[in-house]
Amino acid sequence: MPLPCPSSITPSSPPSSIPQRHGWSRRFYLGLALAAIISTVIATALDPFSYHEILLDHWFGPVGQQTGGFIVMLRHAVWLLIPLGVVTVAALLWSWVLGQQVAQRTRQLQQELHERRQAEAALRESETRFRDITEAASDWIWEMDEQLRFTHLSERFYALTGIAPQYVIGRARWDLAAVDVAANAQKWRQHREMLEKHLPFRDFVYQTQVGSSYGQDRFLKINGKPIYDSGGQFLGYRGTGTDITEQLKAEAALRESEVRLRRIIDLVPHMIFAKDRHGHFLLANRATADAYGLTVDELVNRSHSIVHGMEDEVARMLTDDLEVIETGNSKFIAEETFTDHAGHTRTLQTIKIPFLEPGSNEIAALGVAIDITEQKRAKEEVARMRLYLKNIIDSMPSVLIGVDPWGYITVLNQPAEQVSGVSWEAAQGRFFGDVFPQLEGQFEQVRQAIRLGRTIKTPRMTLDAQGELHYADVMVYPLMADGGRGAVIRMDDVTARVRIESMMVQTEKMLSVGGLAAGMAHEINNPLGVILQGCQNTLRRIDPAMPQNRAVAAAIGIDLDRLHRYLEQRQILHFLAGIREAGIRAAKIVSDMLSFSRRSETHFGLVDLEEMLETVLRLAVSDYDLKKKYDFKRIAIQRDYDPTLRMVHCDKTKIEQVILNLLKNAAQAMAEEGVPAPTIILRTRREAEYTLIEVLDNGPGMDEKTLKRIFEPFFTTKDVGVGTGLGLSVSYFIVTEQHNGRLSVTSKPGQGACFSIRLPLIREALP
Amino acid sequence: MSEWVLIVDDEAMIRENLKAYLEDEGLKVATFEAVTPALSWLRAGGTCRVCIMDMRLSDMDGNSAIRILRQSYPEMEFLIHTGSSSYNLPEDLRSMGLDDDRVYHKPLCDMAPLAAAVRVLAARWGGGA
Repeated sequence: MPLPCPSSITPSSPPSSIPQRHGWSRRFYLGLALAAIISTVIATALDPFSYHEILLDHWFGPVGQQTGGFIVMLRHAVWLLIPLGVVTVAALLWSWVLGQQVAQRTRQLQQELHERRQAEAALRESETRFRDITEAASDWIWEMDEQLRFTHLSERFYALTGIAPQYVIGRARWDLAAVDVAANAQKWRQHREMLEKHLPFRDFVYQTQVGSSYGQDRFLKINGKPIYDSGGQFLGYRGTGTDITEQLKAEAALRESEVRLRRIIDLVPHMIFAKDRHGHFLLANRATADAYGLTVDELVNRSHSIVHGMEDEVARMLTDDLEVIETGNSKFIAEETFTDHAGHTRTLQTIKIPFLEPGSNEIAALGVAIDITEQKRAKEEVARMRLYLKNIIDSMPSVLIGVDPWGYITVLNQPAEQVSGVSWEAAQGRFFGDVFPQLEGQFEQVRQAIRLGRTIKTPRMTLDAQGELHYADVMVYPLMADGGRGAVIRMDDVTARVRIESMMVQTEKMLSVGGLAAGMAHEINNPLGVILQGCQNTLRRIDPAMPQNRAVAAAIGIDLDRLHRYLEQRQILHFLAGIREAGIRAAKIVSDMLSFSRRSETHFGLVDLEEMLETVLRLAVSDYDLKKKYDFKRIAIQRDYDPTLRMVHCDKTKIEQVILNLLKNAAQAMAEEGVPAPTIILRTRREAEYTLIEVLDNGPGMDEKTLKRIFEPFFTTKDVGVGTGLGLSVSYFIVTEQHNGRLSVTSKPGQGACFSIRLPLIREALP
Repeated sequence: MSEWVLIVDDEAMIRENLKAYLEDEGLKVATFEAVTPALSWLRAGGTCRVCIMDMRLSDMDGNSAIRILRQSYPEMEFLIHTGSSSYNLPEDLRSMGLDDDRVYHKPLCDMAPLAAAVRVLAARWGGGA
């Protein structure tokens, strides 16, 4: 660092030079005036031409005899007074001029004094500043004598280096750096030559080991120039020095840090790079170089367009770089495609920031690109999987409702949307009980399932769906996955299954009745045979018309006619008829029970449906029971036949039996209730898989309790002795078991009843 | 009428009722509670045109009895009177000329059709002789 040299301390010119010049001309004019005055005085005093006489005469009058001595004396006195006055004036003038000059000179002196004081103060200040600077700076000042031995070192040196003065003063520099001299002989030789030639030098760095209180080597950097006396004699060297040990250490640390940083950025799997506005790589980490199939050294300082073959990608990236460079704002690119050297297309997420390259005043774009190819693929896979799972749960026939632990809906599948009429989006976040009021009571199960971590089942929950009784199995599954506590409510409509099961129970009952009947039929039929045959023989053998009876009666002396009258009067014949009827009924029950058997014979064939129905109607009209108890002719019959239906595959006798039974029941029910305009509608329809035959009446109908049990064997609403209690159950058995069809009934109290027989259209469906 | 109507039935009252009815109709009736005594009676010189056979008997079933009797007495005609409603006429019996019309299910509310059938068969036998 060059020493400061303030110019103010060297006086450039005398400050009073210009006023002196003025004084000189004034003195000249004053001298001239004085000479004039003196000459005037002399001329006046001597007065060689006696002008004074003329003048005095002019003033006092001419001197005569009368003129006293006093006047003469006054005339001389006046005459003397004139030069005296002139001299006095001149003397006064002279003294004034002198006074003026003295005052001016004094002022000059005062000013000079003042200026000198100022200069001295400035000098002192400069000196202080210089000292302060040398003291404060990391530099010090050194001086050498002509023998190149240190004669002076500023305090700073000792303070900075910790080297004591006694190690330095009187010694040459190379003595202080013996180790360095040995190590760098060439450097020192040159330095020594330079000094011996008395040349100035700059930035000579050397290492010294002497007297360092830190116990370690110090690196010093020195500048120096030779000094000469006024005669040009070489006096030695003077210069400055700096301890650069710390600086070198810092530099070394910086280098190390840079290496470390380099390692780190090379270790980062993301691409880190900087490019200038022309697309040249200023910096790149290994990941970046790898992406281009190059080493870092190969990549740096090369143009992007050269190392990267994909023109459109290069152009797009350069546009982004330029945007960042021009605007000075960072740019986040959420997704961009990049084709690496192997031709694989990768998806990058890049952030670019403006970056001032050290040692350059041009702004570059510094970028970090993260390869999100896998991430994106995983994301897409997750989305695909989500859709897939959604499809799966949507394709489930069960109603699935996902809820959180507080019962708020998180997921609905399609059946759930259909059942509730609310879309998933609309239902999300609502309490499930609000969307599915039929499941409101399940909240306790939801809580329990989550608490206990197991499935809670509610089988056969009854639901009232628009007045119809429905059944649902409800299951609550706890969700135990991380981060997704809650439950799934699954609801299956099992109405159909429950009905089928109840039908199966019915069928089983009938079959067991059938089995029982088959087992006991023989045992019952024999006694019934005894009863009925016995009855017949009894009646025959008391008949007076029979000759054998008459012969026997005559032989033992009995009047058969009278006996017959007796039997009639005592109602014995009536009782016998009663026994006979009871026997017949019992036989019918047994035979009905026997029809609940799969083994019973069937005779299937193609039957004209309309013809069959007409036959049944004729049978009904001529039916003994119907004729006797209920006037079937009073009933209006409406025919509602499907013209597309003709032939049905069935056992004609059995189906006739079923329909006749239904007609009888309808007639009986309407007669009992006294329906004013009893009507039966016979309806046929073609369904997808079945031929439908319906028998509708406008009778009293049935309540639900009756409906539930209507097909049960031995269930009857009729008075004791009127029906066997097997008619409908036999019909049910014939239709469902023997024809693989369906028999169902819908009715409500006061609204008539509708019995529906469904026979399969397809023959193969038969058992 | 010297030919007998044979009734084989294990139920005594059934036998007796049938016998009473047929006798009232003027037929000669022999009754047996099982096949063995009936065979003994026939071997002892009993003659018979029509046999009313029960199926469930103590010594053998009715079908076997018919086969045995048919072998020894080819002219004998059979009517089946059974308490089993699921009775099916075996094929070999059908080939002997029996059909479903020969099968009568217990209980018989009216014995007249059975008696008529016995008469028809007896007449045929007689006619054939």
